[in-house]
Amino acid sequence: MKKIGIDVGGTFTDVILMDDATGAVFTAKVPTTPRDPARGAVNGVRRVLELASSQGPEIGFIGHGSTIATNMLVEGKAARAALVTTKGFRDILEIRRVSRHDRADLYDLFFTNPPPLVPRRWRFEADERVLFDGAVETGLSAAETERIIAEIESSGAESVAVCLINSHANAAHERALVDALREKLPAVFATASYEVNPEIYEYERTSTTVINSILGPRCGSYIRDFEQTMRASKVAGDVLFMQSNGGLARGEIVAQRPVALLESGPAGGVTAAAKLCERLKLPNAITGDMGGTTFDVSLIRGYRAETRSSGLVNTHAVRFPTIDIESIGAGGGSVAWIDVGGGVHVGPQSAGAEPGPACYGRGGDQPTVTDCNVVLGYVDAETFLGGEFRLDADAARRVIERDLAKPLGCSVLEAARIVRAVANALMAQAIRLMTVERGYDPREFAYICYGGAGPVHAVDLATELEIPTVVVPRLPGLFSAFGMLVADQTYDFQIPVLRNLDEMTAEDFAGKVTELARQVKETLREAPLSDADLVLRPRVDCRYLGQAESLAVELPEGAVTAATLAALREAFEAEHRRHWNFTQPDRPISVVNLRLQAVSPTRFDQAAQMERARGAPQPGRTRKVLMDGAIAALPVYARDSLGSGHAIKGPGIVEEASSSLVFPAGRKVSVDAEGNLIVTAE
Amino acid sequence: MDKITYEIVRSSLYAIAREMKIAMMRTAASPIIHAGGDASAAIFDADMQLVAQGNDIPTMLGSAVISTKASVEAVGRKRLRPGDVIISNDVYLGGGNHQPDVQFTRPIFYEGAIIAFAMTRGHWSDIGGQTPGSYSPKTWDIFGEGIRIPPVLIFRDDEPVRDVVNLIVQNTRDPASRLLDIKAQYAGTFVGDDRIRALAAKYGKQNIAAAMAESLEHSERLMRAEIAKIPDGVYAAEDYLEPIGESADLLPIKVKVTVQGDRMVFDYTGSAPQVRGGINCPFAVTCNSTWFTVKAITDATIPINQGCYRPVGIIVPEGTVLNCRYPASVVSGNTETSPRVIDLLLKALAPAVPQRVIGQSHCAACPGIFAGNDPDERRSRSLNRKYVTLVDVHAGGLGARPDKDGINAIRVHVGNTGAQSIELIERQFPLRVEEWSIARDTGGAGRWRGGCAAKRVYRVLFDEATCTISGERGRVAPDGAFGGRAGALFDARIERRGGGVETIPSKGDQLVLARDDRVTIQPAGSGGYGDPHERPPERVLADVLDGYISSEAARSLYGVAIANGQIDEATTRRLRAGRGVGG
Repeated sequence: MKKIGIDVGGTFTDVILMDDATGAVFTAKVPTTPRDPARGAVNGVRRVLELASSQGPEIGFIGHGSTIATNMLVEGKAARAALVTTKGFRDILEIRRVSRHDRADLYDLFFTNPPPLVPRRWRFEADERVLFDGAVETGLSAAETERIIAEIESSGAESVAVCLINSHANAAHERALVDALREKLPAVFATASYEVNPEIYEYERTSTTVINSILGPRCGSYIRDFEQTMRASKVAGDVLFMQSNGGLARGEIVAQRPVALLESGPAGGVTAAAKLCERLKLPNAITGDMGGTTFDVSLIRGYRAETRSSGLVNTHAVRFPTIDIESIGAGGGSVAWIDVGGGVHVGPQSAGAEPGPACYGRGGDQPTVTDCNVVLGYVDAETFLGGEFRLDADAARRVIERDLAKPLGCSVLEAARIVRAVANALMAQAIRLMTVERGYDPREFAYICYGGAGPVHAVDLATELEIPTVVVPRLPGLFSAFGMLVADQTYDFQIPVLRNLDEMTAEDFAGKVTELARQVKETLREAPLSDADLVLRPRVDCRYLGQAESLAVELPEGAVTAATLAALREAFEAEHRRHWNFTQPDRPISVVNLRLQAVSPTRFDQAAQMERARGAPQPGRTRKVLMDGAIAALPVYARDSLGSGHAIKGPGIVEEASSSLVFPAGRKVSVDAEGNLIVTAE
Repeated sequence: MDKITYEIVRSSLYAIAREMKIAMMRTAASPIIHAGGDASAAIFDADMQLVAQGNDIPTMLGSAVISTKASVEAVGRKRLRPGDVIISNDVYLGGGNHQPDVQFTRPIFYEGAIIAFAMTRGHWSDIGGQTPGSYSPKTWDIFGEGIRIPPVLIFRDDEPVRDVVNLIVQNTRDPASRLLDIKAQYAGTFVGDDRIRALAAKYGKQNIAAAMAESLEHSERLMRAEIAKIPDGVYAAEDYLEPIGESADLLPIKVKVTVQGDRMVFDYTGSAPQVRGGINCPFAVTCNSTWFTVKAITDATIPINQGCYRPVGIIVPEGTVLNCRYPASVVSGNTETSPRVIDLLLKALAPAVPQRVIGQSHCAACPGIFAGNDPDERRSRSLNRKYVTLVDVHAGGLGARPDKDGINAIRVHVGNTGAQSIELIERQFPLRVEEWSIARDTGGAGRWRGGCAAKRVYRVLFDEATCTISGERGRVAPDGAFGGRAGALFDARIERRGGGVETIPSKGDQLVLARDDRVTIQPAGSGGYGDPHERPPERVLADVLDGYISSEAARSLYGVAIANGQIDEATTRRLRAGRGVGG
C-alpha cells in the first residue's frame, strides 16, 4: 500500500510518501499557507504524488499532523465563542487560580496578561446548581434553557462552551443545555465539559472546554476541506489526523474534540520514535527534536511515549492526554547574546527560518547557534541541504566577531565554542528535567535525535548525559511526517471516580470500567473499527488523600477482583516511591479518575530494508571541525553511500541532505538493516 | 574557571532549585502548599548566601536570606553532618518571616566539607496558636500565632528525629497532614542534596564554589548597572497602615530613598512604633519588601540571587512596625504590610522612574479561615478527620501600569499563593460557594484602568465554625498614579441566617458562624494610571459592555457618555471639554 504522511509546521509543510511494497520513499517540502491552511497540505500531497508518479486512487492511507490549532490559539485567531456557567461563576475563566505562576515572572510588575479566551460580555450564567455529590440544589428550568439559547443567539457567537459547577459529579444540566443548543442553534459549535474533560477543578475544566469550543469551527472546516479535497483527488483510503496523545483519529471525531490537536505536530516525531524503538528492541529512549526555534524532548518507556494529562497552552490551562514534551528555546535559529554583566545566553529569541541565521544570507544579522556550528565545522557551508543552498560562513564569522568575540575578548572560534557549549547545557538540562526530575536515569535510555539540527548536537548530549546509544533515523528532517504514517489510531476517555481506594469494592471498580467502556463504544460506533482491532488500556489517576497531583497507574489486566485493587495499591506506592522517594502507608489513597485508551494498531510491520553493504565505507573529502579544543580534518561519509552492515570508527562525519553527524574518536557508527545510524562506544 | 563550566554550573543550580520545589509541591498535604503553590526552594553557598532560587514566592525567598544564616548559626555549623536537616519557623529565634512558613535547611557535604545548603519552605495550613489556621491578626504576642520552632535538627542521618517531629505536629491542629508536609519538605532537600553532590562530582567542588561566587558577582554587576541609570537624588514618601481595631489611629510608614551612583539606601526612620497585633514586620520581611521593589523597578530578567541585593542599604530602627522586637505578633506583616511597603516605595520612586511604577494594589493574601467540626459523618470517616480548617486566599486588583491596564483578581507583589478550586472546597468542607465574580467599579479609573477585585460569597454548612479574615486596605484605598484614581476598599460582611448584616473590618476579631450564615469577602481593587479622560472612549465602552465599570462611572470618572450600548459622541466631547487635560 502507498501511504502519505503530512506534517504542517509553522513555516514549511513536510510530506512523505512511502510504498510498503517496494520500500520506496518520496518526500516534498512546500511552504505552509496560514491564510488558507488546507491549501499548503494539498499542494504538498500533489507534489509528492508527482514525484512518485502516483495517482490518488493508489493512496491507501493519509496521516496528517498540523500546528493549526496551536497557532490559532497563540495568534488569537480562533472562533468568537460564548461560555455558559453556573450562576455566580462567569468569571472563573478570568480569575483562574488567582496566582500568577501561569503568566509571569514574580518580580515583574509589567507582564502581559493574555485576555480571557471569552470576553466577559459573552459569558452567560444559568440559574441552576449541582452540589459536590451530584445532588441538584437548583434545577435547570426549560425557561432558563430558552433564555440562555436566546442570549447565545443574539451574541452572534460562532461557538459555545458549557461548563457548570460540579458537572463532573452530575452532568444532567450540562447535557440538557448542550443538547438544546445543538438542536436550536445547529450552526453554532457547542461543546460541554462532561464530553471533553469530566474532572474536578472548575477552572481547568472550564478552560479546557472553552479551548475546545474556540477551536471547533475552524478546525472542523479545515478537516472537512481537507477530506473533501482528498476525496476529489480520489484518494481511496482513510484520512486520519494526529492528536496530542500521539495517536491518529478519524476526522469526524477530532472535529468534535479539536482540543486533541494542540500538540499534533510534535507528537508525530515522538510516535515515529516509539515505533522505531519497537523495531530496534529498545524499550526506553529519550527523543530530541531540534528545529529552527526549539528543542523538544520527550520520553519513551516500555515502547510507549510518556504522556501527561494537563498543561498550559499560551498560559491557559488544558487538560487532555498529551505526549509529555519539554520544549526550550534552543533551536538552530536561536540567537546567542551577551548581557551587560558578560554572561553568555542562547535564546529564547530566534531568527527562525526567516530571516534565519546570518549564514543563510537572507538578512539575518544576529549570531545564532547554527552560525556557531558553521564556524566550528559541525554544519558544512558547502553541502547544507544537499548543496542546494550554500551557507555564507563569512557572514557567520562577522556577526560572531562583532556580537560575541569582541565583548568577550576572545577569538571567533572560542566564542562559537562557548555558545555551542551553552546550547548543549540548555538541551542537557531539558533532558535532565524529563528524566531525572521524573525519577529516571538517562543512562538507561537510548537517545533518538531528529529535526534538521538534531544530529548536530546529539553525540555531545549523549556524552554529557552518559547515554550509551544514539540513533539517527533515516530522513531525520522529515521524521515527524513519517510519524503520521506509522501511528496507531488512539482515542482517550476518562470518567471521575473521587473515592478512596480502600472504600471501593471490586464490583464498584468493575462498574466504573464497564461504564467507561460503554462510552468508548458509543463514541466509536461510527468508526469502522471492529472490537477485535481495539486494544483497551485502562489507567487510574491516584494520589494520597490531600495531595494535589495524581500519578497515573496502569490497571492490571483481566477482570477486576480484590486482587486487582491490591495490585493497584502496590503499583501506586511503587510509582510514588520511584517519583518522590517515600510512601505514606497510613494514608488513604484517593482514586481520582479512571482512564481508558482505545487503540487500533496501524499495520506497519517493517520499514523498508536497506541493501546490504558491499565493501568498506568510503569517505569522500575531509572537513575541518573544532573538537576537544583542536581543529581536526575528519573524513566525511555521504549517508547515501552507506549500506546496511557498515560500521565506521570515529572520528568522522556522516553527511546527508538535511543534517550532519559529527562523532569523535571512541565512538562507532553502524548502519542497521533499515538504514538507521546507531552510534555507540567503540 | 572557564566560561563554559561556569555557565553549566550556574544554570544547573537554578534547575535544581526548581526541581526541589516540584518534589515538595507534589507531595505536601497542606492544600495551600500543593494547590496554592505557597512553597519555595533555594540553594545557598557554603557561607549561607542565596545563590539560586525557583520562580517561587518572593516573600519566602527574600527572608530566607536572613533565616538560613540564622538557622545554621543557631544550630552550630560544627555540629552539622551529612543527613542533617534543620527545621525552623520562628521570627525571633530563626529569622523567619511569619510562623506558618516553616523552613527546612540541609547542609550538603562533599568530600567531608559543606559545599552548599538546600532550603525548602512551605506554608503549613495550621501551626497551632490561638486560632484555627494560625492566621489571626488579633493576638497579644507571638505565642498566640503558633508553635515557636527554633532552629533544631528534625532529620539526622536522613532519619526523622521522632521526638521532635512528634512535639511539633502535636502542637498543630492536623498532625497527620503535618507529617506529610514534613516528608514533602524533606524530599525537596533530599533532591537538592543529591543533585548538588552529583554536580560537584562532575565539575569539582572548587568549581562549584567559584561558579557560585561568580554568579553572585554577575547579578551584582547587572544590578549596579541598572541602579546607575536611575537619576541620583533623595526620594521620600509616606503612607498609612491600618491598625488592629477600627477606631485606632492610622499608623504612618515613611521612607527616604537615596540613589547615589550604583547604590540605593532605604531609610525607614519615622515609621510608627510596633503595635499589638499581627501587622508588624520582622526585619527579614522589610528587607524582602525592599529587595523586591529594587528588582521590580530595574530589570526582572537579572538572574535572581543575593548578589542583586548587595548594592542596597536598609536602615530601619528597631522597635518599629517595620522592624519589630520580641514578642510582637507578625502574621500578616508578611502578607499584608509588606505589599503596602512596596506600594509606598513605588510612590516614593515615581518621580525618579515614572515608567517603572504602577498604581497601588490590593496588597493582601486576604486569607479567610473557616474551622470547625464537619457535620457530615460519612465524609469525616472517608477523609479521616472530624475537625477541619479551610484556609483560602482571595483576589484583588493589581494597579494599572504605564502602558497597560492593571489585572483583575490576582495576587500581587511578594505573595503568590493561589486560590483553591471551589469544587474541592465544597467536596472537603461544609461550605458552599455561592458566587465568585469580579466586582464592578473596584478598579481605579485612569488612562489605564486599575484591576478589579473579585467577590466571593460562602454559605456556612458547619453547625458552628470560627472564621478569621485578614484583609488590607479597609480604610486606606489603593491610590492611582499620575492622575489615576483610587480603587475600591476591602469589603466583607456576614449576613446572619436570622437576618441582620455585620460588617467585618479588615483586621478584626475571630468570628463565630452558624449554619446558613453567608460570608462575603471582597479584597480591595487597585489604582489607575494617568488621567481617566485620556482613556480612549472605545475602551471605556468595552469596559461598560463587559461590566468592569458602570455607565455612571464611565460618565462621572471617564467623561464618556454611553447610551444604548454606544458612545454618545457629542455628550462625551462636552463632558471631556468641561475639564482641562490632566485635571
